[in-house]
Formats: sequence, structure tokens, C-alpha cells
Amino acid sequence: MTRLPRGIGRLLAWTVPLDQQEPIAGDLLQEYVRLRHRRFAAGARAWAATWWSAVQLAASFMWERLRRDRTLPPIADEAPRRSSLWAALAQDASFGLRILRRQPGFASTAVAVLALGIGATSAMFSLVDAVLWRPLPYVHGDRIVSLGEQRPREGRWFGPIAPADFFDWRRDSRSFSAMAAYLVPPSGAYSLTGAGEPERVAALQVSPEFLTVLGITPFLGRDFRFDEDTVGRHRVALVSDGLWRRRFAADPAIVGRTVTFDRRTFEIVGVLPARFWWPTRPEVLVPLALDDHDRALRGAHFLGAAARLVSDTSIDRAREELRVISARLSQEYPLQNADHAANLLTLRDTLVGDVRPALNVLLGAVVCVLLIACANVAVLLLARATGRQKEVSLRCALGASRSRIVQQLMTESLVIAITGGAFGLVIAWSALGVVRGVLPAQFSGLPGITTAGLDPRVLAVTLGFSIATGIVFGIAPALASSDSRVIVGLGEEARGSTSSVRAQRWRSTLVIVELALSLMLLAGSALLLVSFNRLINVPPGFQPAQLVVSRIALPGVRYGEHAQTVAFFDALFDRLRTTPGVRRVASTTSLPLDGLDSRLDLVIEHRTPSPERGALTAHARLVSTDYFATLGIPLVRGRFFTEHDTESSVNVAIINAAAARRYWPGEDPVGRRISLGADDDWRQIVGVVGDTHHEGLDADVEPATYLPQRQVFSNLGSTFERTVTLVVRSANDGAANASIVRSAVSSVDPQLAIGSVRTMQEVIDESIAPRRLNFVLVSAFAFVAVVLTCAGLYGVMSYTVAQRTKEIGVRMALGASGRQVLGMIFRQAGWMTVAGIAAGIAGALALTRSISSLLFAVNADDPVIYGTVSVLLAAVTLVAVAVPASRATRIDPLTALRDY
Amino acid sequence: MTDPANLGEFEHVVLLAVLRLGDEGYAVAIRDEIEACTGRRASLGSIYVTLDRLETKGYLKSRFGDPTAIRGGRAKRYYALRPRAVTALRESRRALLQLWRGVHNVLAGTQ
Repeated sequence: MTRLPRGIGRLLAWTVPLDQQEPIAGDLLQEYVRLRHRRFAAGARAWAATWWSAVQLAASFMWERLRRDRTLPPIADEAPRRSSLWAALAQDASFGLRILRRQPGFASTAVAVLALGIGATSAMFSLVDAVLWRPLPYVHGDRIVSLGEQRPREGRWFGPIAPADFFDWRRDSRSFSAMAAYLVPPSGAYSLTGAGEPERVAALQVSPEFLTVLGITPFLGRDFRFDEDTVGRHRVALVSDGLWRRRFAADPAIVGRTVTFDRRTFEIVGVLPARFWWPTRPEVLVPLALDDHDRALRGAHFLGAAARLVSDTSIDRAREELRVISARLSQEYPLQNADHAANLLTLRDTLVGDVRPALNVLLGAVVCVLLIACANVAVLLLARATGRQKEVSLRCALGASRSRIVQQLMTESLVIAITGGAFGLVIAWSALGVVRGVLPAQFSGLPGITTAGLDPRVLAVTLGFSIATGIVFGIAPALASSDSRVIVGLGEEARGSTSSVRAQRWRSTLVIVELALSLMLLAGSALLLVSFNRLINVPPGFQPAQLVVSRIALPGVRYGEHAQTVAFFDALFDRLRTTPGVRRVASTTSLPLDGLDSRLDLVIEHRTPSPERGALTAHARLVSTDYFATLGIPLVRGRFFTEHDTESSVNVAIINAAAARRYWPGEDPVGRRISLGADDDWRQIVGVVGDTHHEGLDADVEPATYLPQRQVFSNLGSTFERTVTLVVRSANDGAANASIVRSAVSSVDPQLAIGSVRTMQEVIDESIAPRRLNFVLVSAFAFVAVVLTCAGLYGVMSYTVAQRTKEIGVRMALGASGRQVLGMIFRQAGWMTVAGIAAGIAGALALTRSISSLLFAVNADDPVIYGTVSVLLAAVTLVAVAVPASRATRIDPLTALRDY
Repeated sequence: MTDPANLGEFEHVVLLAVLRLGDEGYAVAIRDEIEACTGRRASLGSIYVTLDRLETKGYLKSRFGDPTAIRGGRAKRYYALRPRAVTALRESRRALLQLWRGVHNVLAGTQ
């Protein structure tokens, strides 16, 4: 029995209310039979009669309806309709929605995949935008620069500045409208007492120009006066908006009140505006107020500096001017300034320098995931487009131009994409919350990181992403299915035919692209994994197990004298040593991997500084007698400190192996004499100890000196000297250690507050947290990418098998074995995999530069890693192909030939 | 009284075809009847649109017939005139005849 051509049936279903369809379908069938019979009788071939009759019928049915019925999608450019493009788009969109509602499985898959991709991209964009692109919260923030000291010979490009250099730079330069120095107090915070619970508040010591450089003024009260930058008049403070509201209940009369920081009284002279922001998040600003001795220091480098460029100067001109000034200073003070000079970076570069490559790689990775998501949806659409070929054919037959068809199909893609984008926003919103929660402490000083969120800018970009993805994944299917060469099959005979070669080629290309992108992500993730693994296996130079540490800041009021500090630690050590479970106890001014270290100029006896060699430097660390044994740092030569190294005995020092290698190559340094910083006495080297990593497990060990805590050494600065980390080696790992330390400290000085008690392993973990985050995030993206890619490959192969069922049935009927069929399917998947992997390797190699700065002890083009991930990806794709392949072998020739 | 101007030209033609077909007035037959009488080939689409409109305006009523084999077992939808359609046709015819009166001679040469 003749049936109504499927395309016409569908047209009817779309355009006519259900209750009216039956008689019209009857009419159409009757008409179709007549038309076909008439053509056949006139000598037309069967297929032509069928085809043309269907087209004619469709035309005769649709023409007038489309002219009148505005709820229908316009199908031809020539068709009269409400003319504007927007009306057409609206119609296409509502039509697209109707179609999607009819295919909930397809629609939800596509939307979910896109939501994942767009959500991840939006979240990452929001972070990158906040950190790298958004202007700093200052007026003309791009004119604010950071100053640092460079020592090219040591490979250091941006270090802290000696005070005398800073004052010379400020006096002689003309490129800056203001230049300010700042110093984070060694303990980082003051304890605020009086009026409520004692509280630690982050503090920053600044010179009076600081707010001028940032371009802000106090919201209440006044800025620091220049005369307040001198010792004696410096007991004034500016408090942050947050502290003002939290601690002082937003008291409008706060100016003039006094507060107590570290037991010293300060007068509050102003409140900072809410938009004040600085990486260390200070809540209190106090004057820097260096005394005359400190102001003249050229050998001790501890100041940070920021400046504002005058409006007509470029950063390069300012840098050049500072270079000239530095060169003159090098001539004037060859001993201290021989090989260092001023360096200038924009404030943003200083803040985000280390993070920028990581964020860029993460953004790249997430864009790869988005592209894979696009390719995946495109594959879905292509498969679906084949099913819609008759509809498209019909539209073409009715006079729709190719561009009109493409527009219709693209609108449907956009509907999918924008729906995906809407869900993506939800994902982005939750992802941002999670990411903000797991950010390592090192990232907390990044501009905008805490406020990164879904603001209008991110919303706009997400909409942009959605539209772009709609176009990207929609264009290939739209072009492929509107291709006139593909348009066949209005009539029934076209049913079951294999899909066109071109559509198949599109699908293969998309899967290859997905495979290539996945491989790139996998390779990146593997490189980071190997880096991370090598990093955590770097020996730190000490034994971290069973060590607990805690930072103690001794207030200057009661511990101003060296003897007081010594007495405190003697009492504390005695107390701790008698505590059960404590094996050793020590203290240091600079704990490995904890970020606090100070570098001083090093003078070696009988060695004249030469301009070629430049000034020598070394870190200086004050440690207690038992420090090396407590941390498990090995002795290389000479001896450790003993109880006899006191104030009354000869001054001694111990150096690390790196210092011995650099400054006494081929010699024995033990017995030589050195001095550190300005006006220091000679100190005899009594021992050489093993290297410990201080700046990071991935950084080279720098020359360092250790000085006994009992001997007076003033060049670190007194506050630095009083900020000490207590190190306890206990017999167990238990949480009891924290309370042991706390109770011991409070029994010696009940008024002393100590910082958190951490295990040494926690300190190490924190130092590698940014790398861990990079690795975890890239791996997560790579995992999603591989899953999506496998889904895509699975989809394509399933579709191919379904399409070729008849062919496979014929082959099997003619004697092909299941193994041969399997081979056929795997060959097809195999060449796609090989091509995808090859393209992926090429792409990854082209991008090695962008990731190499994140790697450690591994080459970005390591062939073993590429080989491994290629095999891994190939293995995973085999699994994805196995299911459709086995389905192909189970095809029953009889069923295949009958039903298809 | 129905305003004859309310009836479009093609609507007029379709109503007359339905009238001529009596009980057999469904879309394909109406289209064929129009072609047979006027030589004018209307598209099925335009027939449906016009029938819908006439039904909405209250000139036509429809009923479903019995399924037939040639239509794949689907029923036909038969249309019949409502009284106001008859009135309108009658009025329209009267108006046209009135207008024709006295102009036969002028057009005689062309016939």
C-alpha cells in the first residue's frame, strides 16, 4: 500500500493541528497517488515520478499556507512574510525550541555538554579577568610601578631594596610624582588590645607618600604628615574600613582616639576608604619611621617600594633614568652597590608575575574543553542532521536558498548554545565558590581574586561564548546538511541509504579535532604530574617528619634587650625539653620554605671586593644551638654551634654548602672570617652544613650563613630578630604537639600569643600548593576532555554502525566473519585515532613554550610522556569503539536485510 | 443581511464549488471541481486556507466521512454550506446580475 512520503507527513505534523491532520493527510495521499500515477503513465521513471510528485504535492500544500499562516517558519527567501531579520530569527528560534522539545534526549545531552564547557570557561575567565585584565582599584592604576633591586649576576631581577638606595633614587629621579617605601613587619601583624578581645591585625609600615602613590585619600581624618616619619612622632595609625567597622563600630569620631598595637599606644589619624587594597591585606598602616642608622644602610636589603609615574613619562624612560642613577651609585659606593641596579615593573606585573603563566595555561586548557564540547555537540548535530535530510530537502525543493536553510539550522544551534550557556552560568557560579575555597595562601594576595564573580562583564562574555560556541558547533552540520549534493531522498526510496561521504568526513574531522585537543590536555596534565612528582621528591635538606613549628613574635616592650630574648628562649627550651614526647627543640629567624628570609652583603676577610665580582651576598639566619640537630641538617665540615658560643666568646658563623661552593671553590672555608651587612664584627666560620631549600623546592639553594642566637647581631633589625620560629621535634605525629607547645609558651610568658602550630609537612605542602592546584585543575580538565572525546567517538562509531547495518548485513550474508566486521570497524576508528593523536602531538609541541615555565625537572617535549599519553588515549578510545563494534558483529543478516 | 463585499473572489468560487458538489465536497474534490469548471488550477494549500477561513466566518460547516482505502484508511472531511453562505451567495448573485443588466451588448463583441 502506498504511504504518504515521510517528509510530507512531517511537514503536516508541524504545520497542522493534530485534530485536523487526518483528513488532510488523506487528501494529500490521494493527491500523491494520482500525481505519481499520472507521471508514471507519461513515461517517467518510478523514482522520478515519486520524487517530483512529492515535491509538487508539498509545494501545492505548503505554498498558500505559508503565505498566510504566520506561525510557520518561513522557508523561502522569496516567501512574503514579516520582513525583518529579527522576526525571522524569532520564528526560527521558536521553531528550534519546538523541535528540541520533541527530542529531549538529544537536547539535554547537548545542553549538558555545553553547560559544562561554557561553565568551566566562564569561571576561569572570571578569575583571569579579575587577576590579569581588570584595572587595579586605583586612579590611573597603570601608572603605579613597583621598584626593586636587580642583581643580574646572581640571576635575581627583583629583590628588596636597601634604605639608602631608596632615598637616593627618590631624591634624584624626576620620572615619578611620588615614591614610597613600605615594609611588612616581620610578624606580619600587630596584636590589637584594649576595647574587646585581643586580635591580630595585619599591618604595613609605609612612608608618608604611600597613599599619594596609590592615588587615594583617607575617607575620614588625614594622611600621614612627613614629620611623622621620624622616630618619636611615629605613633600614629590609619585603619582600614573593615577594621573601623568591625572593631570600632564605624565610629565617626574615631579620629584622635588611641589604640594599643603590640602594647604600644598609637593615635588613629584616619580611616582608609573601602576600596583601599594591598596584596598583604593590611588593616593598619603606620609610618615606616626608620632611624638614622637604618636610613643609611646600603648593605641590608629589606624595603619594598612603589611609585607613581608622572603623566608624560613611559615606564621605559623611568627605567632608563633609574639605571643612570644606579650606575652613578655603583661608582660612588663600589663596595655595596657594585653589581646591582634599580628595576621597575608595573604594580600588576609585580603582583601577578608568577601566576600569569599558570592562569594562561588554565585558560587555554578550559578553552580546549569548550572546543571539545563544541565538537561533540557538532557530532550529535551531524548525526541528527541526517535524520532531518528530508525536511531540508523539502525546504530546498520549496525554494529555500542554502543561506536560508543555514540560517534556520544555525538558529537552532544558537538556541541550544544559549540554553547551555544559561546552565553554564550556574556551573560557573558554583565552580567559582569551590575554587575560591581551595585557593592556596600564595594566591590570596592577587588583585580581585576574592571578588571574582559573575558580574555584568562575565555575563556578557558568557553570552559571547555561548553565541560563539553555537556558531562553532553549528556551522559544520548546517553546511553539511544544506549541501545540495546531500539533499536527496524526499521519496521513500531514499530511506536507509548511507549518509553522504561529506557528512561522514565532517564527523571524522570533528572526532579527530577532539582527539587532538584531548591529547594536548593529557600531555599538559602528564607534564604537570611528572613535575609535581619530581618536586615533592626533592630532598628539602632536612627531615620534616615529626617536626612542628610555630612563629613567635616577642613584643619589643618587654624583649627590647638581647639578653631578655636569650633568657626567654632558655626558659622555653628548658621547659620543652623536660616535656615527655619532645626530643629536640630549636629556634630560627628563618624557617625553610616559610617565606621569611633576609639577605645581607657578605664581606670576606683578605678578599678585596672587585667590581667584576661585585658585592657578595648571603642570607643571614639567627639560630639556636640545637637548630641543625633538630631539623636533621647534616654537618659537612667543621662543627655545629655549642653552648659555649656566647656573647663573651669569639663571634662564629656556620655557612651552607652553597656558600662554600660559590665563595670558596676548592678551598676549606672553615677558619676564614666574614662579616655580614654594615659595621659588622668579624665572624669566624666554624662549620659547613648541608643545603636546605628556603625559597621553594624548585628554587636553587642560595648561599646562606647561620649565626648563633646567643651572640649579638643587629643587622637583621631588632623586630626581625624578635620574630622567631620555634621548631620542635617530637616523638610522635599526634595533634597533642600543638597543646604541648602552647602550654610551654604560656607557662614561660602567659601574655605571649603564638601563631598557629603547624607540622613541617604542612609548611612544605603549602609551599607547593600553587603547583598542586595547577596540576589538579589541568588534570580535571583533561579528564573531562577525554570523557567527552570518548563519548564523541562512541557516538560517531555507533552512528556509523547503525548507518551501515544493511551493508554489514550483506557482507555477513556473503560470508564475512564477525572478526572481519570487527576489523572493519576498528580500522575506521583506528585511523581517526592515529590522525587525532598525531595532530595532538603536533599541537602540543607547538605550545610547549607556554607551559614550560610551570614545569620542574622535565622537558616540555619529553618523548616518554608523549608516548605514554598517546598509548593511554588510544587504549581509552578502543574501549569507546568496542561497544559499537561488538554490536556490528551481532547484526543478523536476515533482520538487517529485511528491516533496512 | 450579509454584506456581499465580505466574500472574497476565491471564497466565492470555493463556496460555489461546495454548493455544486453537494454531499461530496472535500478538499481534493473541491479543487478538481474548480479546475473542471473554470480551468483554474488552485493549490491544495490555498484550498485549505480558504476552507478554514470560510468555516471561521461561519459560511461552512464540516463533518468527517468514512475512511477509504485509497487514502490509506483516512477519513475525508466534507464541507457543506451554512444558511448564511446561501444567503450571501444569493445576494452576491443578485448584485452581480443587477450590475450586468444593460451591459451585455457592450461585451457581446468579445464573446
